[in-house]
Amino acid sequence: MASLLTTCASPDSTIVLNDVTISGNNPHTYQMKTSQTSVQISHEYLEQNFAGSLMQTLQHIPGVKAISIGSGQSKPTIRGLGYNRMAVTEDGIKHEGQQWGDDHGLEIDQFAIDRTEVIKGPAALLYGSDAIGGVLRLYSNHVPTEKVEGKVQLFGRTNNGQVGMSGKVGGLLNKFFYRAHFTMIDYADFRVPTDSIEYFSYRIPLHHRRLRNTAGKERDGSVMVGYAGYTFHTDVRVSDSYSKSGFFADAHGLEVKLSDIDYDRSARDIDLPHQSVNHLKVLSHTTWHGSRLGIETNLAYQNNYRRECSEPISHGYMPKPDNARERVFDKSTYSANLAFHLHVGDHQVQSGLNEETQHNRRKGWGFIIPDFEVHSLGVYLMDRYTCRENLILNAGIRYDYADTHIHSYHDWYPTPVDGTPTYIQRSQPLHRHFNSLTWSAGINYSSGPWVMKANAGKSFRVPIPKELGADGINYHIFRYERGNAALDAEESYQLDMALCWDNGQMSLQFEPYLNYFPNYIYLNPTSDYVEGLQLYHYTQAEVLRYGWEAIWTWQIDRHWSSTLQGEYLFARQESGLKKGYTLPFSTPWSAEVEGKYAFGWGRQMTSPDLPAFVAVNARLVGRQDDIVPPEKPTDGYWVLNLSAGHHFHWNRCSMQVALHVDNLLNRKYFDHTSFYRLIDVPEPGRNFSAKVAVDF
Amino acid sequence: MKQFFLFLSLLVALSACGGSDHQEDMTKPTIVDTVEDACPTDCQTFRRGEEMPFCYLLGDNDELGNYNIEIHNNFDHHTHSTSSVECEMDAKKEPVHPWIYNEDFAIPAGSTSFVARQFIQIPADIDPGDYHFMVRVTDRSGWQQLKAVAIKVVE
Repeated sequence: MASLLTTCASPDSTIVLNDVTISGNNPHTYQMKTSQTSVQISHEYLEQNFAGSLMQTLQHIPGVKAISIGSGQSKPTIRGLGYNRMAVTEDGIKHEGQQWGDDHGLEIDQFAIDRTEVIKGPAALLYGSDAIGGVLRLYSNHVPTEKVEGKVQLFGRTNNGQVGMSGKVGGLLNKFFYRAHFTMIDYADFRVPTDSIEYFSYRIPLHHRRLRNTAGKERDGSVMVGYAGYTFHTDVRVSDSYSKSGFFADAHGLEVKLSDIDYDRSARDIDLPHQSVNHLKVLSHTTWHGSRLGIETNLAYQNNYRRECSEPISHGYMPKPDNARERVFDKSTYSANLAFHLHVGDHQVQSGLNEETQHNRRKGWGFIIPDFEVHSLGVYLMDRYTCRENLILNAGIRYDYADTHIHSYHDWYPTPVDGTPTYIQRSQPLHRHFNSLTWSAGINYSSGPWVMKANAGKSFRVPIPKELGADGINYHIFRYERGNAALDAEESYQLDMALCWDNGQMSLQFEPYLNYFPNYIYLNPTSDYVEGLQLYHYTQAEVLRYGWEAIWTWQIDRHWSSTLQGEYLFARQESGLKKGYTLPFSTPWSAEVEGKYAFGWGRQMTSPDLPAFVAVNARLVGRQDDIVPPEKPTDGYWVLNLSAGHHFHWNRCSMQVALHVDNLLNRKYFDHTSFYRLIDVPEPGRNFSAKVAVDF
Repeated sequence: MKQFFLFLSLLVALSACGGSDHQEDMTKPTIVDTVEDACPTDCQTFRRGEEMPFCYLLGDNDELGNYNIEIHNNFDHHTHSTSSVECEMDAKKEPVHPWIYNEDFAIPAGSTSFVARQFIQIPADIDPGDYHFMVRVTDRSGWQQLKAVAIKVVE
């Protein structure tokens, strides 16, 4: 697998990288492009290594993890940082959903993605707030090359009975182009290799080893039109992604509940509790390139509409609501980016401006985050100086201003306070400004088979309204969460390095990093109670983190290749109430070894790429004892995965078949970084995935 | 190849400095009924208008935090008991004026063992029926333990 993926490896053939290749030494060219640690994932890699979903495919990349949140969905993390501490961008625009939520997935049509890039480490310079841990860059703007071209994909998974179909069509006519996509996915409750789950001494028997009510569906569609000239390019893309999925019924969050709903009558129905999200995005991208100057603009509107429904219950003084609408969030985001690129001698200067406005409204009987508006503005300037062909220096500086306005919220039911019924105020009106000056500097140096990179930078994150203004019961995790209006903008300093050695047959890559937060925003479990629930309070603490990823690939001969990779991460709170503890969901060390055999028949043997392969992959994960309340230590485990693929060509059409088996031995294990770990739900059992794709 | 071994030794050196030696508290507090008059216990019945005694032994290896008592109805049979005992329950019904009780109590600072004792007045006008009696206790580090007892309130 590694030969297609790592930064030491061959870059995507479909993208602009080929245009800038001078020496013909592609891996070095990519490595020399940026001083940040980054991984490029080509379309071919995504196709060959299809593991059910984009995040499941990407989590084989060292440093990238997918926190599984049940119902086939997962949240990305980079080097242990996720949620609002990493940014997901689609065609250069930051994706804005409800990233803070534990149950909230990616909300992007992953089958429309042409290629992906992961930036490991801070990237505030270009992306502003949130990109502290890194950026997952998704691209779905590849310009078609034929008059009419398209693709149909059929795919399925056995574990949750997932069936799906995705189609795309596109064309280029006199520099005008169009693209259209659709994806439909349906899945049933997923299976775990256990008959029952035990939680807080409650034993929850599972019907046919299925996690009740985790079924779901997804419907995505997009249309794009554009003009691709030599110096001028413009396009507009409208996409909509809708998904609905159930929450594990027996323990929606941390409460164990019985219900009259007969969940076991079908594994495919979606009963309460469930969530649905609709993400609408309109994106416009325009570039103009002169001989020295280039101008780029991005304009976008996004609307994220999320509904979380559950059986109404009374809790404390809250009477039983008359509907199932527990939480509704309606968030609109307007973004505008403007960038200038200027080549002067050996200098490549880039400067730009990012503006973003967010508007969030809530409904429903459960209160967790207040209504808010956030306006932010950032300006940056960076220079990349090529001293020699093998020595590049870069430095940049950025200033950000953000303005957060939080609305007040009162309970919709009265609570007796000293005998008087009172509508308690949960959220105070709040107006805060945040300023931040961030910077980054780096070096790239290559010598023979070596490339060395180093990057130092400061990143920041504006506290999100939940951290500033939350004051309520989180029904998903059954705890009381209270914001802290006095929080400062979170800052992070990071030193990244990458050492890369490649002789064409063998490559080695080692990526260590050191990361320090003077004021990490941490949701601290306290010893206090509010309304019968343990109070979790946002505080700030110094945090030190360090770790590394390493990957070794070896193309033994034309047929055989192997990969050995590993990652390690350490995090510690250096001050505050949890001094000495780690951070929640601390990633344990892991190693992965893979052997791959490529083959073909007859005439195929003379072509540069063999069309078929079989690969065996073993993943070994260490025990995690480094925990914070309310976590539990998690045992180590190993799992075996298999994959195989075949690429057929005839005339102008081609067909790819990809097969993948996860957890071949159906082992029962727990993933420390999974949200369901807290309620003792093991990871999914054996799963076969298959995909057939036809290009025309 | 020499470079490769250089690599490996660097890796080993870096991981070696990440040992985690725990001095931090990793133990949850406990709620046990080893006191003589532990109350309430599963399936116990109480009368409206009377005083209900509460007594359990709370413990922690380091330092106890606070405890909370919360009582809510189980008229919909949503089950909450943390023990395997199955109590005989009344038929399901809609609450009209159910008993809601939710109080937090402090534990003297520095305690590692504490006999929690309260007398809870059962209002005379509440709906009789099945109730859940929940005890939660935290320790100083934020670990929490929970105990749920199924009780019945009669007229």
